Amino acid sequence: MEPESPAFPVPKIEVKNFSAFYGKTQALHNVDFTIYERKITAMIGPSGCGKSTFLRSLNRMNDFFLDFRVEGSATLDGEEIYGPAVNPVLIRQRVGMVFQKPNPFQKSIFENVAYGLRIQGVKSRSVLSDIVEKSLKAAALWDEVKDRLNGSAFSLSGGQQQRLCIARALAVEPEVILLDEPASALDPISTARIEELMQDLKDRYTIAIVTHNMQQAARVSDRTAFFLDGTLVEVNDTTKIFTNPEDPRTEDYITGRFG
Amino acid sequence: MAENVLPEKGLSLYRKVRNALLGALTAVAFVLAVTPLLAIIYVAYDRGKAALSLSFLTTLPGGFPVGIEGGIANGIVGSLILIVIASLLSVPVGVWAGLYLWDQSHTPLAKATRLLSDLLLGVPSVIWGVVGFYVFSTNTGYGFHWGFSGLAAGLTLGFIMIPIVTRVTEQALRDVPRSYIEGALALGASRFQVVRGLAIPAAITGIGTGILLGVLNVLGQTAPLIFTNYYNTGIPKNLVGSNGSVGDLAMQIFIYIHEPSKGLHVKAMAAALVLTLIVLLLDMGIRLLAWGSRKYAQRMG
Repeated sequence: MEPESPAFPVPKIEVKNFSAFYGKTQALHNVDFTIYERKITAMIGPSGCGKSTFLRSLNRMNDFFLDFRVEGSATLDGEEIYGPAVNPVLIRQRVGMVFQKPNPFQKSIFENVAYGLRIQGVKSRSVLSDIVEKSLKAAALWDEVKDRLNGSAFSLSGGQQQRLCIARALAVEPEVILLDEPASALDPISTARIEELMQDLKDRYTIAIVTHNMQQAARVSDRTAFFLDGTLVEVNDTTKIFTNPEDPRTEDYITGRFG
Repeated sequence: MAENVLPEKGLSLYRKVRNALLGALTAVAFVLAVTPLLAIIYVAYDRGKAALSLSFLTTLPGGFPVGIEGGIANGIVGSLILIVIASLLSVPVGVWAGLYLWDQSHTPLAKATRLLSDLLLGVPSVIWGVVGFYVFSTNTGYGFHWGFSGLAAGLTLGFIMIPIVTRVTEQALRDVPRSYIEGALALGASRFQVVRGLAIPAAITGIGTGILLGVLNVLGQTAPLIFTNYYNTGIPKNLVGSNGSVGDLAMQIFIYIHEPSKGLHVKAMAAALVLTLIVLLLDMGIRLLAWGSRKYAQRMG
């Protein structure tokens, strides 16, 4: 009886026959993949399998590699992400990203979270304060920093910095959040906090996470995709992937036979 | 036995000797590297101390031969004028070019610019001087006819400064971590917003260092001035045409030391000490500034 979560998941990002190249090197081969709204989708696979390339393709963060190009289709709410008239800046406002290493700006805690709004031209101090507070609360960081919002972001611990980066991403109200191994540089306690946070956020956001850690994928995600050598081997409900995978290569990987 | 598993404690005789030898060599290299600076300061002070006083800095040269009385106010003012003109040309051009090289680093134009910058860095200053002479100063040149003048010299020095500022600006921007830039782009910042709001502030001390390096270079140049400005014992009223020459500390030293006058030699060395101290102070100033802004950034952001 919850209208919030429909019985049939709604596609948010649909990828069809998608290939990506760095110069002559093909990093992704004909990927077909759907990311559903308000679900957590995890991408696993050994190093160099293309999972990060795939994630970064979804908000055009790879555009900055000069010889990067894509083939095939990737849509956000039915709109081509790589369409000729699409402004990548607007895509990135709708599809936020948190990186492997916390990368706060050389600014105060407040200004870090406010940055995305300031670049959109928001000047009102009260509006900024409201959104900064809301975002820090949503990122479960508010109680720890509310008394030192003007202190440097670098004074926070690594785990706090990563939650600050999540708050920073939330402040611009994205529809999708891409997490690129967000906990791999953090200690277990900070990792647990980030994972809890993801569960809180999934009511409102579509989340895609790349992780090296299979237990993490199993713990946090609704769906899991397994990448190998630039191809998508298998994507399915997380429980299915981890208990009864269809492809023997998936089974080999999750049982630790390679990778 | 467990203790046999670990390698023997202490170093072999061969390694001890080698350590001592290399340590001694390093010490010698250090002394040789630092000695010239101490020698410059000592010799300049020793030879010039008789002329040093506060009024040396604030009075114009006088007496006969000119300069035997008075000080180096003309040189200080003139050097300042040259720095301002050279900076007005080279800072905007150099910073903009450095920004371009960083942002469009792989385009053919950027590669060509980088190559040409490096070539220009190696052009001897006397060549800058004679070309500056033909282009800016002489009446039979290429149209400017500015004579020996502050403007001709300032612009020539400015062109010498451009490649220095360009390359240091590019390097300073390269030193801004990529993750920092990506963080902003992922929030929907445009390239221009990233450059203006994050990259330049993060690189500003590096860029400042580049500008200072250029200024220090300009302060030390004599060859370009011989051909484009020469020298003025007073404060100029114009920066072009007759009486458009400016004084200059390096030129002043050069001219005084050529005169057969012991008194002028003393003045020259006093001026040399002043010029050296100005360079050292500027250098320490920018280091202090860089250190201060790093502290500030760590504290505040």
